[in-house]
Amino acid sequence: MPIFLKMSGSITLRSCARYLVPFIIPRKRSVLCSAILQRYMSSKIPGVSYPKTESTSPPEQLGLDGWKITMKSSVQEEGVSPVSSSKDEDPLAAIRELIEMWRLLGKEVPEHISEEELKTTMECVSKSSKKKYLKYLYIKEKKKKANQIKKERKAATREKAIREQLLETTKEDKQQNFLFLRLWDRNMDIAMGWKGAQAMQFGQPLVFDMDYDNYMKPKELQNTVSQLLESEGCNRRDVDPFHLYFCNLKIDGAYHKELVKHYREKWDKLLLTATEKSHVDLFPKDSLIYLTADSPNVMTTFKHDKIYIVGSFVDKAMQTGTSLAKAKRLKLATERLPLDRYLQWDTGTKNLTLDQMMRILLCLKNTGSWEEALKFVPRRKYSGCLEISQHSQELVNGLKKSKTFNSSPKGSLNIHTQKRWLK
Amino acid sequence: MTLCFTGIRSFPKLWKSNPYLGLSLGHSYFSLFLKDRYGIREQQKWFSLKAVSAQNTKAVNLLVAKSRCVRKGDKGSNKEVSSDSHLFAAGAARKRSQMNPLREDHALPPVRNTIQLPTKPLTSEEWDKLKENFKGKANFASWIISQMAHSRSSIDVAKSLLAWVAAKNNGIVGYDLLVRYLYLCVFHKQTSEVIDVYEIMKARYKRLEPGAYTLLIQGLVRSDRWKEALLLLEDVKKVLIPSVRNYNDCIEGALLHQDVSLAWNLYQELLGRDLTPMLKTLKAFFDFGKNVKDEQYSNKLLDILLYLRNNHLYPEESFAHSIKTWFESVPGEQWKGQFTTIKESGQCSGCGKTMESIHLSPEEYEFLKGEIMRDVIDGGDQYKKTTPQELKRFQSFVKCCPPFDIVIDGLNVAKTFPKVRESQVLLDVVSQLAKQNLQLLVLGRKHMLTQHSRWRKDEMKKVQKQASCFFADNISEDDPFLLYATLHSGNHCKFITKDLMRDHKACLRDAKTQRLFFKWQQGHQLAIVNRLTRSKITFQHIPSYNTVVQTTGDSWHIPYDEDTVERYSYEVPTKWLCLHRKT
Repeated sequence: MPIFLKMSGSITLRSCARYLVPFIIPRKRSVLCSAILQRYMSSKIPGVSYPKTESTSPPEQLGLDGWKITMKSSVQEEGVSPVSSSKDEDPLAAIRELIEMWRLLGKEVPEHISEEELKTTMECVSKSSKKKYLKYLYIKEKKKKANQIKKERKAATREKAIREQLLETTKEDKQQNFLFLRLWDRNMDIAMGWKGAQAMQFGQPLVFDMDYDNYMKPKELQNTVSQLLESEGCNRRDVDPFHLYFCNLKIDGAYHKELVKHYREKWDKLLLTATEKSHVDLFPKDSLIYLTADSPNVMTTFKHDKIYIVGSFVDKAMQTGTSLAKAKRLKLATERLPLDRYLQWDTGTKNLTLDQMMRILLCLKNTGSWEEALKFVPRRKYSGCLEISQHSQELVNGLKKSKTFNSSPKGSLNIHTQKRWLK
Repeated sequence: MTLCFTGIRSFPKLWKSNPYLGLSLGHSYFSLFLKDRYGIREQQKWFSLKAVSAQNTKAVNLLVAKSRCVRKGDKGSNKEVSSDSHLFAAGAARKRSQMNPLREDHALPPVRNTIQLPTKPLTSEEWDKLKENFKGKANFASWIISQMAHSRSSIDVAKSLLAWVAAKNNGIVGYDLLVRYLYLCVFHKQTSEVIDVYEIMKARYKRLEPGAYTLLIQGLVRSDRWKEALLLLEDVKKVLIPSVRNYNDCIEGALLHQDVSLAWNLYQELLGRDLTPMLKTLKAFFDFGKNVKDEQYSNKLLDILLYLRNNHLYPEESFAHSIKTWFESVPGEQWKGQFTTIKESGQCSGCGKTMESIHLSPEEYEFLKGEIMRDVIDGGDQYKKTTPQELKRFQSFVKCCPPFDIVIDGLNVAKTFPKVRESQVLLDVVSQLAKQNLQLLVLGRKHMLTQHSRWRKDEMKKVQKQASCFFADNISEDDPFLLYATLHSGNHCKFITKDLMRDHKACLRDAKTQRLFFKWQQGHQLAIVNRLTRSKITFQHIPSYNTVVQTTGDSWHIPYDEDTVERYSYEVPTKWLCLHRKT
């Protein structure tokens, strides 16, 4: 136990502070103490063991001001404090110290911070944006640490299991008969590749409109690209994938750079069509339907002869009506999901993420059931499903029948049999 | 924590049977936790407690309402203040919200204080014992000191805690404990303690963070070492922009120690950083001014008043008193101040002078028109709110019509009374206004023309006979058209809607334009106030004067906020300070 002695009597604590021999114990990390002092303490204190008996008789009443004198005097002994050492230091160091002090106060700031991150912090205009960025770093750091710990634990258990298995296998080394080699992952990849190629030839097109890079901040763009990755993955695994089009994708634009960064060499082998052209140039205008939550028209059924467009746009700045304006400009039909008809909406925006949209569309394409498809809407956003009455069900069916199928020849839509840049 | 969970688990039926428990689950969680410590039989008590608290809030609301009534009664003589709740008058939004019966009762803040905070300094054994009782994730010392800071314990208790921590920890007290202790010292105005902590912090840490700096500045400015607070301010500047509060403390300190030029320099610096000074800071200058007989200082104070004018800031009641006292203390000028209201005609009830007109000057008007066209209607993408074709159609429509006297937001007006058919309300309003021989424009959307149970074709035909109509697409916004048509018709033209237009105001570029818009809106917006449709429809009167700090050289009129009235950001005060020179 650490010891603090209260010296009673006529001697002031200040003068006897140098005789106080604190007992060094391995302090927990959570004990907040400045780095300077720690260094000082560890260098100056002689490793004299202190008789334990002394500590068992603490004073009845704690001296109220004693701690102050110790706090001050310990520094006085040190001589010149580091306060005056550097007057004109660079602002990076200053901000690093600020972050350190915030950390001591228990604020949400990262423990370690790189030069580059420091610079980003400094470039934040306001105090609140600095705090926001630091909190982001803090959470990132925490996650990383937790993952590290998990990884180590897993490795340990695996090692243990292997050791146990080794003991067992030495006992019985039985010959076993198998039909397949364990090459499931690769087989799956190949199968998905085949399906993808088929979709490139005969699949229904689904367009991601990439014309939103001016509306987004870098953070939002990153989110968008990770959502795109997710949706592409979903599509690849599906029984009957869409033929994906990334339209308005500028080469060396922000989207393109980010996508290539994530896909690396796989980018050129992806079974989808990436093009700089607009969707209105590729497809007949009357078969295009722009999906946007701001649309006045509700989507009743999934039509297999239409080409749906999803705006790849993460909007955190509440720029409502951007995609609707785009559709209006190109005079395209618009639709929104019938969320209100099927779900008791609770909270959250009706803008869904790209991968949720993808799953819903895939599900609709395969089953045509809204109840099934809208299960991909995050559960936190709605409180329950609405029962569709028999009457309205009939109405919907009637609508379905009355819709004339103006089936354009399917082949004409799928001119591009492999992923390539359209010139 | 474990206790709490067992508590929940052991009363599953209670949770289900009581519907209103389920609603406020997060909240009752803590309350349950609190009570469950005493055992099961307390359950019943807890429910009754909750019920009482609900009644309490209701009772409080009643009281509030009552006091409001009383206040109303008091001011029966000042008719223009009490009887009308003008759309933009201070407190009107609050009143409107209280009329709404669906208001949620404010949930009581969760209490989870499981340890009785000590009221007197404890010995180290007592602290040890207390620590054993504490079960929580956080560090005991930092948890308890934050609780103490929250309940403003006396500093002796905090000091004994720090002594105990120091004793356990080689004489070292953590930074967070020091800061919380400093907070208590500053709160209890213990200057010597503040200086002690300042010394410790200075010795121990190279640099502090803004929280500690703020506290130190606040604590030091009252002491003899107030100059050091300025050094701390410099330290803050190295990494962050100091808060207005930091500046306020430093300025107050400088004034307290008679360093006037320093105070003004700091004030200039504060303005230079685009910060809005606290009204407290400005009040401090006025309070100090009572004892300064100096032309230059007076001029600077008048500059502050102009600053208030330009930024549409309104002083608080106490600040208004300070201004009054200062004016009355100016030697040789014999100012006389009184608190009054302004009559509907725009005359001050105190001195009879007419206030500045609400109308914009021609330059301002043109400027605002351009800004609204560019930022609200166009907004960089004409397709967002309308389409270029529609905009062109509308512009040519407005051009070929004679200037209108009143522009009506058809949908807003029609939906004013939910129990009456939409088209009928619209027809009533239009025909009443048409009788006065006014040139009307009704804006609406195309769906209003299709036959519907709430939109009858014959009534719409009658509307179209009596007024010019423009129907926008169903997905276009109609408010921008309303603004444009009104502005285009000229200064005499008014518009009718209950919409406060805050979203359109937000589209405008900067605060200055927004204030201009607000001024124009105050002067041109008519809102329907009466609640009986069939009877004559009455409109909100339009104030003829502008609520802003204003002067004519030998008189000042300063609107101010009453302490008892909660004013929303889009409302203006109703109370005035009238100052005039005796001649």
